[in-house]
This record gives sequence, structure tokens and C-alpha cells, in this order.
Amino acid sequence: MIEVERLSKHYHSVRAVQQVSFSVGRGEIVGLLGPNGAGKTTTMRMLTTYLPPTSGRAMISGHDVLDEPIEVRKRVGYLPENVPLYPEMRVREYLSYRAQLKDVPRASRRRAIDGVLEKCRLTDVDSRILGHLSKGYRQRVGLAEAMVHDPDLLVLDEPTAGLDPMQIREVRTLIRELGERHTILLSTHIMSEVEAVCGRVIMIVKGRVALDDRLDRIQEQGAMVLEVRGPLPEVRKALEATPGVGHVGVLSRDGDLAQFEVLALGGVDLREELARRVVQAGWSLRSLDLRRSSLEERFIRAVREATLATDDLHGLEPEIEAA
Amino acid sequence: MRHVPTLFRRELAAYFLGPMAFLILFAFQAIAWINFWNLVDELSRNGQSFSGLRDPLNTYISGSLAFWVGLMVAVPVLTMRLLSEERRSGTIEQLLTAPVTELEVVVSKWLAGFAMYLVLLVPFALYLPFLYYQGNYRFDVGPVLSLAIGLASVGLMLTAIGLFFSSLTRNQIIAAVLTFATTFLLIFATRGAFAYALFRRSSWANVFQFLSVIDQVNTFGSGQLDLRFLAAHLSIAIPLLYLTAKVLEYRRES
Repeated sequence: MIEVERLSKHYHSVRAVQQVSFSVGRGEIVGLLGPNGAGKTTTMRMLTTYLPPTSGRAMISGHDVLDEPIEVRKRVGYLPENVPLYPEMRVREYLSYRAQLKDVPRASRRRAIDGVLEKCRLTDVDSRILGHLSKGYRQRVGLAEAMVHDPDLLVLDEPTAGLDPMQIREVRTLIRELGERHTILLSTHIMSEVEAVCGRVIMIVKGRVALDDRLDRIQEQGAMVLEVRGPLPEVRKALEATPGVGHVGVLSRDGDLAQFEVLALGGVDLREELARRVVQAGWSLRSLDLRRSSLEERFIRAVREATLATDDLHGLEPEIEAA
Repeated sequence: MRHVPTLFRRELAAYFLGPMAFLILFAFQAIAWINFWNLVDELSRNGQSFSGLRDPLNTYISGSLAFWVGLMVAVPVLTMRLLSEERRSGTIEQLLTAPVTELEVVVSKWLAGFAMYLVLLVPFALYLPFLYYQGNYRFDVGPVLSLAIGLASVGLMLTAIGLFFSSLTRNQIIAAVLTFATTFLLIFATRGAFAYALFRRSSWANVFQFLSVIDQVNTFGSGQLDLRFLAAHLSIAIPLLYLTAKVLEYRRES
């Protein structure tokens, strides 16, 4: 559905998006996650043909955004950030206007508009003036507009920004329902949003992809925490020697009792193997825990790593010590 | 160009959903009323005879200072929001991610601006049938039609200029000021330059006279359907429309 290859966008000297590559398959709900100013909106604007990329390629349903923008636009429904609407128009009038622009055939236009009005629960306000609507309703009108031509792909830029908790819940429910029929790419800087609606996360930090994985796999990956009584260097060596272990860290130390954090390669659960090794060596194992990493931890780690990486590139002193 | 009717309809509707179009229309109605009053006053003086060159009907519009000043204000006000407003409110992002081309957008907005310009001229035409039938003043219809064509031709150019400046900025005031300055140059500065060149007996006088919008309209008003002027106006309008479409393509960072 979406194929992005080494996509970059520079504004004069600012590199908003750098060499971003990812692909999204049909029917996926993908969350584009990143801090403010990371390049999410710029990426979405390139995918919707609003901004031309500086370099790289992006294809939607096999159509290049630069070579065939009209074909791409026909297949994409876009909800821009802050939902710009013509304040003087009425809800139904606006949807009808947009449906005409998007070439919804005359015969099915009325049905299409009634359909999206109902899906977005706008039927009661269909003759209200857009400029008089509350933020939540505006957001729903934007969503209704994005899908009035039944596009393959919905690109939603911060669909819940500025809504109250009830409205956020409604919009999320709506997005989940839409996900049954459309491929959805949505951006947000709210973790719980991704956890609530998305199947996959692409993290963008400082214009680069910092992480791209399925949500359930991210949540599976975790660190094992062991409390062992024994000589610290030897215990550490033994833990590191266990096959599948990627990194061993010491969290705290109290006499000969130490707490170790073990990160496994590929997120494999090594608890039994680690326990066996510790006990066989004659040390006493006080506790053994699997700590599931939350998306938030991964997010913060990704942001830190990206900060360090770019600082290294510029030959500066890292501002934040690696955790 | 399939989407032009849809875009055009929305644009025209947007004019009448705000107060600005009505205010300007009202001002033009007032100007038309005063001009017509003067016209009737002049015609009803006894013993006046008019030569073809000084026919008051021919100068009913083109000889009226109020009309030209009104036009110089009205054109910027009507064209300033066409693209600036879309840029400012961000709706341009919605517009240009729909399957429409930049040229379709530009042409529709230009036609809507031009349609509004024509609407402004309607009050002047409104009185003429009364003069013809009620007042029994059988004036020559030909020059009046030629005058209408001339004014329309000028409108094609002026609205294209306004639209172009509107595409450059998200600030409507800046767009309006730039358009005002340009229409001032075309309407009054060329006329002033013409008068000055004539006074100095410079050969530039002919050039300035050709460029002067007032003189162009006078030519039409005297019944000469001079298509060179239409060609001149279109040769300014069409490249400007193309440039406007290019501006939309390249200056998208809002």
C-alpha cells in the first residue's frame, strides 16, 4: 500500500526528514510516533503529495507521489493537522463539494455522504455551519471528508489533538472501525493512542526512523532483572556468557548482593536458563523478574539514542549519558 | 478542467456568504446612481448637441472618476482573499491534496473573481433600458455593447493580477496593497504619464496612451471594438495565471 524509500525533505538548511524508509501493507493501522517537530507532518505531507520530497521515493498503491500525484490523491484520504475547513459552509454542503472534487459519481454521491455522516455520527448536525462547530465535531467532519471517496489509504495527522477525553475515545473507536476497511497511517505524540488503536509503530525522531515494529512485539521484548548473591565480576561474566544475552547491566549493589539487568537478543525469554546457570555456579538467586518494556520506555530510549547519534555526527559532547 | 464548475461555484458562493461583496456592490450601485443622475441631467439640458466624440453615454462609465477610483478599490478587495485566505486558514492543504490540478484551482478562482467583477458592472447597465424605453432617448446600442466588452476585457486582466498577488502571500492586506498599486499604475499613472509626455511633445505619448486603461476603455466606448486591447489584456492575464499555478506548486510550505 505504502512504499517509502530513502525519503528526505530539506527546507533550506533544515533537514526535516532524512532517508526515511518503511512500507505499510493493506489493512494495517500504523502509528507514526515521534516528539513534536520530528518530521511526522512533513512525512505525511509528502505521502499526500502536498509537499514534493527533496530526494527519495514514495509510492501509494503503486503510484509515485511525484510522477502521478492525481492518481495518488484519488486513493488517499487526508486529515491535516488542525482540520482546516471553510467556516462559511454547512456540513453537508461541504461534504458534497469535496465529494464532487474527489470525483464521487453523481449517482452514488448522496449515498456516500449519508454513509460518512452516519459513520462519523454527524447526521444531527448536517446543516450546521462549519465555523460554529466545536473542535470535536470539526474533527469528525474532517474524518468524514477524508473518507467520502472511499480511499484505500487514510492519512490522519494527529486525529485526536485538542479533543477532550470523551471525544478522544469516540475518535479512537471510529478509527478502529475504519481500520477494518481501510489502511490507516496516523501520527501522534501520545503513546497511549498508539497502544489503543495501532497494530504497528514507526517512531520518527529527528527526521529519521528510530524504530519500526509491531506493537505486540515491542511489548513482548523485555529485560530480565536478577538479584544474585555472589562475586560481582564472575556473576556478570557468567550472565554475559549465556547464549542469547545481548547486554548485562548492574542496576544496584549492596555488599555481595547485586541486581543485574539482562537484555536478550531478539527479546527471547531466558529466565530458566539464567536461573540454572546461577544456581549451578553455587550462587544464590534471590529474585528473577521479567520486566515488560512499555512503549514509553522504548520511545524515550529511541529519542535518547537518536540525540546521541546526531551529536556524535557533529562531533559534540553527548548531552545525555546513555542509560 | 473537469472540476472547474465545482470550484467556481464554491468560490462564487463564498463571496456572497460574507459581507464584503455586498458592501462593494452597494458602493457601485451608488456610483452608478450618481453617474446616471449626471447623465440624465446633461441630456435634459435644452439646446445641447453632442458630437460623436463627446457623446455623454460613451463617457457614462469611462469618463467617471468615481468609477475608476471605485474599481481600483474593488478589484483588490475582491481578489485578495482568493488564495491568501486558503493559505492562512490552511484549507489550501485540503484543496491541493484533492485530485484537482493547480491550474484548475487557479482558473476557477480567476473566473469567480471575473464573475464578481462583471456583477459590479450590472448596476450601470440596469438604468439604460429605462433611458431607452421610458425616457425615449434612442441612443446607439452598439457603442454601449462595445464598452461592456472593453470593460470585461480589462476585468480579465485586473482579476488575474489580483489573483497572482493573492497567491504570493498569506496576508490579505499585502495582496490587496500590491494589487492596488498595480491597478493604480495601469489606470492613473499611465494616464498621467501620457499627459506629461504629450505636454513635453515626447513620442512616448503614444505608448502611454496605448497602455492607459482609461484610454483603452474610451476607445471601446466610442464604438471601436479594438481587439488589440483584448489581446493585450489576455497576454497579461494568461501568463499570470500560469505563474500563479506555478507559485501554488512551489510555495507550499505554509
